[in-house]
Amino acid sequence: MELFRNTNINFMKYRKYWIVISLILLAVGIFSVFVHGKLNIGIDFAGGTQLTVKFAEDPEVDNLRALLEGAGVEDAQIQSFGEAGENEVLIKTPTLEGSQEGSRDKVVDALDGEYNAGSDAGLDLNRDGREDIAQVLVERDPDGLINGPGDADAAKAHYEGVAEAILEVRRENGLIVDWSEVESAPAVAVGDETSDLAAGAAGVSPEVAQVLRQEARLGNFSVIGVENVGPQMGAELRQKGILAVLLSLVGMLLYIWFRFELRFGIGALMASMHDVLVALGIFALLGFEFNLTTIAAFLTLIGYSVNDTVVIFDRVRENMQARPSAPLLETMNKSLNDTLSRTVLTSGTTFLTAASLFFLGGDVLRGFSFVLMMGVVIGTYSSIYIASPFALLWENMFSDKARAERAKAKRRAA
Amino acid sequence: MKDRSLLTRGIIIALVVALAAFAAFPLGEKIKLGLDLRGGMHLVLEVQTEDAVDAEIDKTAERILEEAREEGLAGVRVDRGEGYTLDVTGVPRGEGDQAIGRIANDYLPEWSWDRLGERIVFELPLMEISQMRDQAVEQALQTIRNRVDQFGVAEPSISRLGTGSNRIVVQLPGVDDPERIRELIKNTAFLEFRLTTQPASGGRGLPSRQAVLDAYNGSLPSNVEILEGDVRDSENRIIGTEYYGVEKRSVITGRDLKNASPGLGEFRNPVVQFSLSVEAGDRFGEVTGANVGRGLAIILDNRVVSAPVLQGQINDQGIIRGSFTQEEVTDLSLTLRSGALPAKIVSLEERTVGPALGRDSIEQGLRAGLLGFVLVILAMLVIYKVTGINAVVALGLNVILVFAALAYFNATLTLPGIAGIILVIGMAVDANVLVFERIREELHAGRTPKSAIDAGFAKALSSIIDANVTTLIAALFLFQFGTGPIRGFAVTLTIGILASVFTAVFVSRWIFDLLISRRERVERLSI
Repeated sequence: MELFRNTNINFMKYRKYWIVISLILLAVGIFSVFVHGKLNIGIDFAGGTQLTVKFAEDPEVDNLRALLEGAGVEDAQIQSFGEAGENEVLIKTPTLEGSQEGSRDKVVDALDGEYNAGSDAGLDLNRDGREDIAQVLVERDPDGLINGPGDADAAKAHYEGVAEAILEVRRENGLIVDWSEVESAPAVAVGDETSDLAAGAAGVSPEVAQVLRQEARLGNFSVIGVENVGPQMGAELRQKGILAVLLSLVGMLLYIWFRFELRFGIGALMASMHDVLVALGIFALLGFEFNLTTIAAFLTLIGYSVNDTVVIFDRVRENMQARPSAPLLETMNKSLNDTLSRTVLTSGTTFLTAASLFFLGGDVLRGFSFVLMMGVVIGTYSSIYIASPFALLWENMFSDKARAERAKAKRRAA
Repeated sequence: MKDRSLLTRGIIIALVVALAAFAAFPLGEKIKLGLDLRGGMHLVLEVQTEDAVDAEIDKTAERILEEAREEGLAGVRVDRGEGYTLDVTGVPRGEGDQAIGRIANDYLPEWSWDRLGERIVFELPLMEISQMRDQAVEQALQTIRNRVDQFGVAEPSISRLGTGSNRIVVQLPGVDDPERIRELIKNTAFLEFRLTTQPASGGRGLPSRQAVLDAYNGSLPSNVEILEGDVRDSENRIIGTEYYGVEKRSVITGRDLKNASPGLGEFRNPVVQFSLSVEAGDRFGEVTGANVGRGLAIILDNRVVSAPVLQGQINDQGIIRGSFTQEEVTDLSLTLRSGALPAKIVSLEERTVGPALGRDSIEQGLRAGLLGFVLVILAMLVIYKVTGINAVVALGLNVILVFAALAYFNATLTLPGIAGIILVIGMAVDANVLVFERIREELHAGRTPKSAIDAGFAKALSSIIDANVTTLIAALFLFQFGTGPIRGFAVTLTIGILASVFTAVFVSRWIFDLLISRRERVERLSI
């Protein structure tokens, strides 16, 4: 199937209108990001703490907010995370004044006081690690392994295996909700050739389950992810991010200047700056979080935008060599038509993959894939309506021919 | 001639495919997953090296004072001067200077000193300071390594963030109890034993700072300072603060310990048992023997843990008692064994991902990747028909090559890295598209399939290179900028793009040539 064949669309004819539309989009973008301050800056750059917490039962977001405020955690952003029914919540808190280490402990303590109230068990199977679980089991020795003074090491290895079996359940699900999950935990292998302990499998025996029910609790929440970025780190990342974007723009300009001509480089640069700003504006208006992965997406967008432009310019150069006397405007139109199939196809496949990511790639990558989706659309558009007209404009203003003509006009006027 | 080239290229491609498959499969074993996918803890720590320098300067001040007394210089004062200096006042000229010269020579060779009027100024040269800072970071690095090793984390990675940096990056895969690890790493664990002065016989502290001051009629002797300790109830919960007057001089410190291990005290309460090095044991025996009946404060990170009364001489074995839980005793022994940190450590950045969260990410990535792959394949087949298969083969090989390169370079696959691979699936066909479109154009211009293919590849090459170099430039800056996960994206994107040039220019060309060589005359090309 051929998408386009021998098209002869006069792309350049309406360039002025498109540029006006672009300018409006740019103005909206710049306004929403820089004046209105709509950009939702994530903790990567602003600093702060972000906890992913899985609850046994759906915690009401409003309750959580009230709880955290009561505990002195101000301005927390709370949103549900992941698939429905998973009871996962993202808690984002801003940087604490004068602290690099964030409010993690405060949040966890507050949650503990609320959701694990009434339980004073020393051990929490949803929070503690292998050693702690094993320790309690060694002390109580439910499997009756310690009969003499020499048995302690073997018992410890065995109970560490038991603890490992329980932890495996937690790792699988993020949270152990029911004791039956502990009781039916699949056994894991313990002991190996390097130790003199008997190799075997350790699972949760009914006696172990009995002891754990007495000594431990299944906490009603589990912190499954922590991100904390201190204000110092945030400032550094911010600086590095801006620098990376600026440098890659300069890099593009230099490459195109080297491979083509300055006017094409200017056109490509204008197009990619346009793309970044428009995408950023829409991104901000829709409230996506701007973080490290977003920077990656924007850099990719720059690469993609220039990539698209370069293929067209490549054709322009080829057509210029084939017909040196043709006006640049005409050559550009012809080149845009020549490459139209490719432009649409490549944009299409890239868009398909970005959209797959957007819809199936999960919450973490949503902002990232959104930038890429927009980037493909805007980048394709800008290759046609920003990059080429600007190259043309540059040509009309600064080329030798244009200068000579202006000089002639001046002379005539004089 | 023609056939031979076809064969050679075929063999090269087969070799590459075989090598790539060998390197990449089975994926589960060959590809190293990042902490964001397998779960784990990533910490960026900063060693507060200024602390270490300050501590050294304070120690030197004490030293000068002590040695000056030994030399019989009365009325000497040592104060912190500007920057890294100490002002020594009250030293008589002549004889005093000679005494100071001896002290400086014997004990403080790294310091420079000079008399300025009534003051003698000791200065720590900048070279020494930077060396001191460097050592503090190295020592912290070593200490953290010891602690992590002893705690038993598999495959830890602990390294300095570049030479001369005061930052340490700790990466621990599969941590089940991040809270505990975090404490364990950051615990300064600076242990000291010092004699108490208020209450002189140890035991419980006084209820307020003022109470300690009152015991001295409001002015503290110069060799005494007030330290706090926690008051705990029978359940080990902190319910208040108590205050002690303790000597500034420590009898022994954590550095003098030979070993420390958890144990049980007389009431089966958790304690830390320790043993001392020979030299420290002698010193400890001397002091404890001479001070029976006085309190000996056990001080950890400037807080009094307990202040038992000395019942008799203690030589090289002892126990540390306090209101400890079993876990605290285990961790304290571990930190004591691994040595104290030379300075405070601040965590600048932490990213901890639970294994369940990582697994979700992998699943979502796989689903998105599969969907993207299928959609792109369909697009290629619909648009290019039989020739589309060519692109699909190239695309499949491309993905294998990406995994092979990841495995070969031992690079880490992160969540953004997966996104990079998925994106590459969409972008990699670009090179094929450029060629195919060109071939179509040449066919429309009336060329035979064979010459159209020749011309298509020849003319598309420059576009392919230009288009990919620009994306590579972006990836390069991304790599420079990025930390962990983002780098993963830059890496997969870069590899994917390089691989796509190889597959589109070399492999896809070979497939075309192969198809054409089969028939004497090709009339039509399904494109």
